[in-house]
Amino acid sequence: MNKSPLMQRDGTKKLIASLLSILIGLFFGSILVLIVGLTTSNIGAKGAWDGIRLIFIGLFSKSRDASGNLVFGMNTTNIGNMLFRATPLIMTGLSVAVSQKTGLFNIGAPGQYLMGTMASLMISLSIPSSSVPPFVIWLLAFLGGCLAGAIWGAIPGILKAFLNINEVIACIMTNWISANLVTWFFDIAKFSTMTGSFYCQTKWKIADGSFKNMVENTKSGYVYKTSWNNVATPKLGLDKLFPDSQVNAGILIAIVIAIVIYIIINKTTFGFQLKACGSNRHAARYAGIKDRANIIYSMSIAGALSAAGASLYYLSGNTEFSWNTYQSLPAIGFNGIPVALLAVNNPIGVIFSGTFMAMLNIIGTQLTKFTAYNEYITDVIIAVIVYLSAFSLVIRSLIAGRKKNTSVANDANADKTPAKPEDTGKSGADAEQEAAPPTDAGTEKGGAQA
Amino acid sequence: MDNSQDYVIEMLNITKVFPGIKANDNITLQLRRGEIHALLGENGAGKSTLMSVLFGLYQPEEGVIKKNGEVVKINNPNDATALNIGMVHQHFKLIEVFTVLDNIILGAETTKLGFLQKKEARKKVEELSKRYKLNVDLDAKVEDITVGMQQRVEILKMLYRDNEILIFDEPTAVLTPQEIDELMEIMRGFAKEGKSILFITHKLNEIMAVADRVSVLRKGKYIGTVNVADTNKQELSNMMVGRPVQLQVQKAPAQPKEVILDVKDFTVPSKLHHNDAVKHISFQARAGEIVCIAGIDGNGQSELIYGLTGLEKSSGGTVTLCGQDISKASIRTRLGNLSHIPEDRHKHGLVLDFTLEQNMVLQRFREKDFQHFGFIDNGNVRQYAQRLIDQFDVRSGQGPVTIARSMSGGNQQKAIIARELDRDKPLIVAVQPTRGLDVGAIEYIHNQLVNERDEGKAVLLVSLELDEVMSLSDRILVMYEGEIVGELDPKQTTVQELGLYMAGAKRQGGTSHE
Repeated sequence: MNKSPLMQRDGTKKLIASLLSILIGLFFGSILVLIVGLTTSNIGAKGAWDGIRLIFIGLFSKSRDASGNLVFGMNTTNIGNMLFRATPLIMTGLSVAVSQKTGLFNIGAPGQYLMGTMASLMISLSIPSSSVPPFVIWLLAFLGGCLAGAIWGAIPGILKAFLNINEVIACIMTNWISANLVTWFFDIAKFSTMTGSFYCQTKWKIADGSFKNMVENTKSGYVYKTSWNNVATPKLGLDKLFPDSQVNAGILIAIVIAIVIYIIINKTTFGFQLKACGSNRHAARYAGIKDRANIIYSMSIAGALSAAGASLYYLSGNTEFSWNTYQSLPAIGFNGIPVALLAVNNPIGVIFSGTFMAMLNIIGTQLTKFTAYNEYITDVIIAVIVYLSAFSLVIRSLIAGRKKNTSVANDANADKTPAKPEDTGKSGADAEQEAAPPTDAGTEKGGAQA
Repeated sequence: MDNSQDYVIEMLNITKVFPGIKANDNITLQLRRGEIHALLGENGAGKSTLMSVLFGLYQPEEGVIKKNGEVVKINNPNDATALNIGMVHQHFKLIEVFTVLDNIILGAETTKLGFLQKKEARKKVEELSKRYKLNVDLDAKVEDITVGMQQRVEILKMLYRDNEILIFDEPTAVLTPQEIDELMEIMRGFAKEGKSILFITHKLNEIMAVADRVSVLRKGKYIGTVNVADTNKQELSNMMVGRPVQLQVQKAPAQPKEVILDVKDFTVPSKLHHNDAVKHISFQARAGEIVCIAGIDGNGQSELIYGLTGLEKSSGGTVTLCGQDISKASIRTRLGNLSHIPEDRHKHGLVLDFTLEQNMVLQRFREKDFQHFGFIDNGNVRQYAQRLIDQFDVRSGQGPVTIARSMSGGNQQKAIIARELDRDKPLIVAVQPTRGLDVGAIEYIHNQLVNERDEGKAVLLVSLELDEVMSLSDRILVMYEGEIVGELDPKQTTVQELGLYMAGAKRQGGTSHE
């Protein structure tokens, strides 16, 4: 009774819907590539064909041979880089997914990410590696980053819980506050009263105890990297597996965190409470669950996850946080939203959708490397996929081939209705009529089924 | 069918099959012009499905629909509207932030060059509301008017579209007794005007009061059609349920024992206005008795229960439950000694997107049977839910894993009652536990509450239904404007006297504080 056939299961339908969105997105990108190619003189049909192939299998593109043809094959550098770039995307995706699972929309991931970046960098560069083992510094920096993100996420949570302020608005505001806060810390703040502990690195401006980087400030802004202080995420042999790439143990940590989050949400009493509050705050309260506390927990966890993504990215040792007065929010934070959307908020799914987004990123760089195309074409593909995954409910119902109830509410009931040929044609007419989705009839039917 | 001209609508041999279930099995329904025809059946009997077929929401596998003797095909609600069939749904389909007038004309707007002609519409609506005495403020926003008024808007919507055949899907479930009387009057007016009314219900009193004929469905099958004049409530309920039903609650006299709940000088502020919703009230509930709080909706009963159960903060007085002062305690602490069947099963009672089994352990998931070191023991949860489902006969499509939202209202309520009674607490707070349920389910719930009483529980019942108050309670407390204005013994009082207290026309001295 509980195990329906594989194709009828909700999870299967969600997966197919997401895969369909991806396929249609890639297909749309190909058409775009074709049109751009055929209308641009220096690309032409051959260039367009190269572009289309890159969009689908760009991850495995290696080089051009002597006669100018693309060579495809196993490209461990690309795969390694993809895994590296997937790490922060998985984390921000998880952040959005956790909040969604508990009925909240965390659009504050960019701000939480920035706060995590700041805390991690400050900790990892402030403790001298000459006196403290780099591993300990790494751990402190990672945990400090998570804590900063958790605090930053808790702010909209508290506002929502006690004052019922919409978390979306509060998140957007905390995003910009964090951008300016980071500016202040790295550019303006003076820590002269706290002299001593910050003086460990010659790379920091010592005289007035600020976090200004006085060495690498020749570019447009200041550059920070943790390798100055010998702090870097261990490679755990992954660099042997994927030579010449940036990959490190961060991806493994991200996967472990995703699995842990999956278990917390689905298997524990804590997750049960979070979900109950998310689905029906009133019923949760009625049942003696502290609804306010759970909203704050949920946002704090989301914040910590985003910040952990930032920590894993910047503590890797081979990235630099290049910064001048911060006027834009990190895109990785916002990209968590499509990652979560594509994974239908499933923490395990986020691992794959995050990796997929990172692959598109790699494909973008390969496009610029091997063809005259602009890498931003992959952004268009992402946009299409996001649009389609927002419609995944429609796609899911198309897969089921059933009549689409106007009320999403009835989904659960109707989901077990197998395809009926005469029903499919009517969905349009049903959606048009202004009143009366058959909710009542649906519930009645549910009762009669027993 | 000798003279089919008599019938304005005929649904002949309708069969509608859903996977695994015949929702309608060869059902014939014939509606005469100018009659009020009741459609009676338990939850899940197929009433709503049949009406959805008539309204074009479902296509029947077999059978035909005739209007004025001619076969018609109704493919969607627009077809139904074109045939002058209108429907008032159980859950209203109104846009809350629109005005009453906007809601009425929505979808049937008169326009000139694409601009709305509201003046004409207003005139027509005003005429209609005057003619049928459907007074409602056309410029009020729907969210600001009462449920009874919202229903009038729905009725005006049908009239505005010149509908001749009016379907009312359980229209009284959300109304107060006064509003029900008014609705009955309106329905009689329609019938007099020659409009034909299909009245879906499971309330026998209303059928006896207003209907001309009644067709009974049971488990998707057509049982029969009878003239209301030739039948009685007992016969109808037997037809509906398929076995003799006790309409009167059978119970022995109460034997009250020790005090379980002691409320003193209790005050709860109102969310709607600056006055207190519950004003300095004091009462007790003892083990082994059913104490009923009676009153017209909105006289502070809901707030009293919210205050007692901790859903809202009280501003004064004490509540002592089993010897423990709980007036400042957390909801979880209070749940340690009380079961709460809430007024609003969708808002408080259930997490609708959770499965039935998750809802069954909504309060108990922390107990050691259901979790180990913070990990939920799904095996035990499943077993427990299955036991409650069997024991309380909760019907659902997929058993414990059914999503609560997909269950019928009656079974949702049964699930809540199963959960609350099985928690086995000394005090049972039941707020309108039978609202919207059919006779069979009501009988069941009443018997359960009496059983709990006989086992030594204190039952605090809040009810708006006078029949229920009179038959179920051992002691009646009448609430009027936030105060207890009378304590009555159901054996020594009459419905009329109770009504006077409820309306505030009469009060006992000394019981209330001012």
